[in-house]
Amino acid sequence: MTDEPTPAVEPADSTEIETAAAPAVEEDLLVEDVSIDGMCGVY
Amino acid sequence: MRLVDQFERGLDAPICLTWELTYACNLACAHCLSSSGRRDPRELSTVEAKAVVDELERMQVFYVNIGGGEPTVRPDFWELVDYATAHKVGVKFSTNGVKITPVVAERLAASDYVDVQISLDGATAAVNDAVRGTGSYATALRAMENLHAAGMRGFKISVVCTRHNVDQLDAFAALADRFGAQLRLTRLRPSGRGADVWDELHLLPGQQRQLYDWLVEHGEGVLTGDSFFHLAAYGSALPGLNLCGAGRVVCLIDPIGDVYACPFAIHENFLAGNVRSPGGFAGVWRNSELFGSLREPQSAGACGSCGAYDACRGGCMAAKFFTGLPLDGPDPECVVGHGATALSTVDRLGAPRPSGDHSHAGGVRGGPVPVTIGRRRPQPHACDESPLAGIGAGG
Amino acid sequence: MAAGFDLELRYALHPQVAVRPEPFGALLYHFGTRRLSFLKDPRLLEVVQGLAGAPSAHAACTAAGVPEAELARFARALATLAETDMLEVA
Repeated sequence: MTDEPTPAVEPADSTEIETAAAPAVEEDLLVEDVSIDGMCGVY
Repeated sequence: MRLVDQFERGLDAPICLTWELTYACNLACAHCLSSSGRRDPRELSTVEAKAVVDELERMQVFYVNIGGGEPTVRPDFWELVDYATAHKVGVKFSTNGVKITPVVAERLAASDYVDVQISLDGATAAVNDAVRGTGSYATALRAMENLHAAGMRGFKISVVCTRHNVDQLDAFAALADRFGAQLRLTRLRPSGRGADVWDELHLLPGQQRQLYDWLVEHGEGVLTGDSFFHLAAYGSALPGLNLCGAGRVVCLIDPIGDVYACPFAIHENFLAGNVRSPGGFAGVWRNSELFGSLREPQSAGACGSCGAYDACRGGCMAAKFFTGLPLDGPDPECVVGHGATALSTVDRLGAPRPSGDHSHAGGVRGGPVPVTIGRRRPQPHACDESPLAGIGAGG
Repeated sequence: MAAGFDLELRYALHPQVAVRPEPFGALLYHFGTRRLSFLKDPRLLEVVQGLAGAPSAHAACTAAGVPEAELARFARALATLAETDMLEVA
């Protein structure tokens, strides 16, 4: 497994400035991930 | 939009769901959330169950948590498991281990799409059997040994945390390591027979803190089914969505096809419909009034002014309901103490009772006969003698 | 396994991943890792579905209408999916 996630490019700032109109929210992550055991109401 | 926000509004299909296949059970655990023991003669037939699987496949429900009662006592259990996995619905089933023989263990070890969860509520026979009945610890350990010997890795050991086993968390972790299993700790809710023993078994405030601290320190790799999101008010949230999924992304299908918001809320107030109705399960999931209202933004109510609300979201709907507390107020185990205050003035005896009662008459095997004055009075029934009464031999 | 995600390589969905389109994007469930990924953009779903048929992840992004200005953001998303084994190098 990767232990040092070096992003391919890091002009993150310029990307974010150019897409400033996009909703900022906490970050611009397009993927959120969770264990399927991670919601309540199922045993 | 965060994943949590999207989920709170509900999805067109559940992500996964609990499916209780039967109310029959060879055990009589004191805290059973489904008040199981005796088979309900109105159980879905094999054909009806397969029709439910067909619907789940069409809706792309990713997997089902099969439980009960003891699901493996149904003679068609393996037929249904195989049917589900052949139709792209993953299966995890919860069992007390009674039928996990070496042959069964080999079969499970060989399957990628079937997972198994062994229930255990004590790291020692003394603690476990007090709740689950004489011999139940031995049955569970034998199942674990068989699974381990067959090469099955990562099966779950699922523990309901109680006042009497909270000091055994390290021992549970050691058991999981010993058998190559993954530990799962879940919350005791006052649901089913749990309502009758909740006062004696639920964690005391100091113990909730003890559990939280243990999870923070040792809980990497320990599953919780997100059942402790009410503890998020202590500090940082535990891993998970910290979201009540009931009626939004998960639900329960019970042995007679009734659809409830959650397996901990088997009561007509949380009954959304029945899979035997013309629209089937999909119709219930998408159109029921109950689920529609759960998918609306929920009011913080009395908790609105509490700084912890953002973290705890008011806790568990089922815990509040079955202790007689209002749903728009504190959880009975609110870590700030608001729940205890509320409990001290609410009419506990007037609290709602679970809808059905499929309990055996005798209570926990090997345990004291429960006092049931004014409460449950099960009608004599063939299924009281054997959960398989009326079904052919075998199974 | 590569030290990072490379847009110029060809990728594919892991065979144990189920994809469920949603109005907001998609849900991906990995039957092996039992992890659920939530794609928050319908274009990302289109990228993911086009990966195996495109010569590179970069090409899949372009085909899905991702402008160069957003490429880094999509690359990070794809990298996350690769790190969690949802995607593998084809």
